[in-house]
Amino acid sequence: MQFTRGRIIGIACGFATVWLAGCGGSGSHKAAINNNSAPLVVNAGPANNYANGLFTTVTICAPGTSNCQAVSGVLVDTMSYGVRILASAIPSVNNALAQQKDANGSSVAECAQFSDGITWGPVKKADVKIAGEEAAGIPIQVIGDSAFSAVPAGCSSAGSPEDSLQSLGANGILGIGPFVQDCPACAPGTTNNQNFYYACAGSSCSVTTVGLPDQVQNPVAAFSVDNNGILVELPAASSSAVSLNGSLTFGIGTQTNNSLRNAQVYTINPNTGNISTTFKTKSYQSFLDTGSNAYFFLDSAATGMPTCPSPADGFYCPATLTNLSATNTGSNNASGSISFSIDNANTLFSNATASVFPTLGGPNTGTFDWGLPFFYGRSVFVAIEGATTAGGPGPYWAY
Amino acid sequence: MPNFLHCARGVLLQIVLLISSLLVCSSAFAVLGQDIASVQSDGAHLKAAVRILPGRNYSIHELRATSGTAVKEFVSPAGHVFGVSWQGPTAPDLRQLLGEYFDQYTQAVQTARRVARRVVHIETGDLILESGGHMRFIVGRAYLRSKLPDGVGADAIH
Repeated sequence: MQFTRGRIIGIACGFATVWLAGCGGSGSHKAAINNNSAPLVVNAGPANNYANGLFTTVTICAPGTSNCQAVSGVLVDTMSYGVRILASAIPSVNNALAQQKDANGSSVAECAQFSDGITWGPVKKADVKIAGEEAAGIPIQVIGDSAFSAVPAGCSSAGSPEDSLQSLGANGILGIGPFVQDCPACAPGTTNNQNFYYACAGSSCSVTTVGLPDQVQNPVAAFSVDNNGILVELPAASSSAVSLNGSLTFGIGTQTNNSLRNAQVYTINPNTGNISTTFKTKSYQSFLDTGSNAYFFLDSAATGMPTCPSPADGFYCPATLTNLSATNTGSNNASGSISFSIDNANTLFSNATASVFPTLGGPNTGTFDWGLPFFYGRSVFVAIEGATTAGGPGPYWAY
Repeated sequence: MPNFLHCARGVLLQIVLLISSLLVCSSAFAVLGQDIASVQSDGAHLKAAVRILPGRNYSIHELRATSGTAVKEFVSPAGHVFGVSWQGPTAPDLRQLLGEYFDQYTQAVQTARRVARRVVHIETGDLILESGGHMRFIVGRAYLRSKLPDGVGADAIH
């Protein structure tokens, strides 16, 4: 093995870091060797039914105990907030988690609303561990809990339930986007009457409000260190593939492995969570979402690409590979163009073993949704609202 | 207490009561595919709750759901609701808004092995339904192809 000068310096610095940490013993030095990086994988997921699904492992513990269960196949989602785990994925620890109660002693449950459906289940407190990081005693949602089997009518009216492994396609959702709580509009004194948080006495549940500290929330913001944001890194995929391996690194500029370097900061609208994307002279509200499994944008009339026949009618089926470009602009007016390509989804899906589809796209008239294919070959930072970073205060994207 | 203050307080109370009555009047929504007359029969409360934007080919009735989510209903000159759209921190009551089409929606979103995640795009017969956005920012629309008034394209519904 031939050592380059850079490598030798790198190794020397590595020794120096370990040595400093070993003899220093202060909090800051301890933080410097904290394992802040978790492996990511793109594959078909635990239900073997996902295209472009980004997964990691999260460990759920009864608060303050060593009663823990590691859950693999948890979807990494940069456009939601909070940890949600299927009850079926934590059979040994679910009953030991602390059920959250309201002032009247009723159990708090949640109807978390996503743009394609809802998840229903109780809010419980847990220690959440990922890599070497821990969010101690935070409220999480347990999905599909048999003690809360009846979904309230107001909840199912907000969308189709995704409470099983088959319908969710994952063992849970790790919501680590640019905000902290999942429903500020559900806090006391706001508009209220959201079909979101419920107080349950037995099987009778009614809509309630929940204060911000007690809401299901982004676990990264609750870490003791590396808590100002995340870095998602995935390798490029030139064509469909079986799987991809990447990393989820916590903190921005807190360690040597999460420096912003030359990434451009796109600040986010603090109310909507969106930036702006211009496509063919028109502008749309947009966002970067690892939880969306394709480029979702516009419609057939605007793109010239037909949608596929059912059941793949949520995707585009152009006759040939179609090359496109669009420009992202942050609230800070930083902007940059993106080139991307869309291929025929039915042709892509005819590859039965692949789960990585870098050219998968679909219609979406309301917003311009940069889904997981955007992240292939990029290092994307997400700074959390209110956090301090070298790139300025969150919320922002940087890539 | 000065009389005018008392009066002002009374007016304020009436306004609060009026707003409260609007907030609980969830049946104010018209239903996709049905007649707008059913909404107007809800009475004076509703007129205050709805902002009507008249147009040549159709009118838009803007409502604000109890959750703070903005809802628009697209109404033909004949009074039929041919489209609806929504945007807000949470979803509106889709069962009420979509009426008989709600079941088509829930059945259509749970099928194929490889489905779109976080975006819904449904084309079942007459119904086109799309939902997107993300947690804390839910946007969507639904319309009936056969009920679009002459000269009105799908892009009008947003």
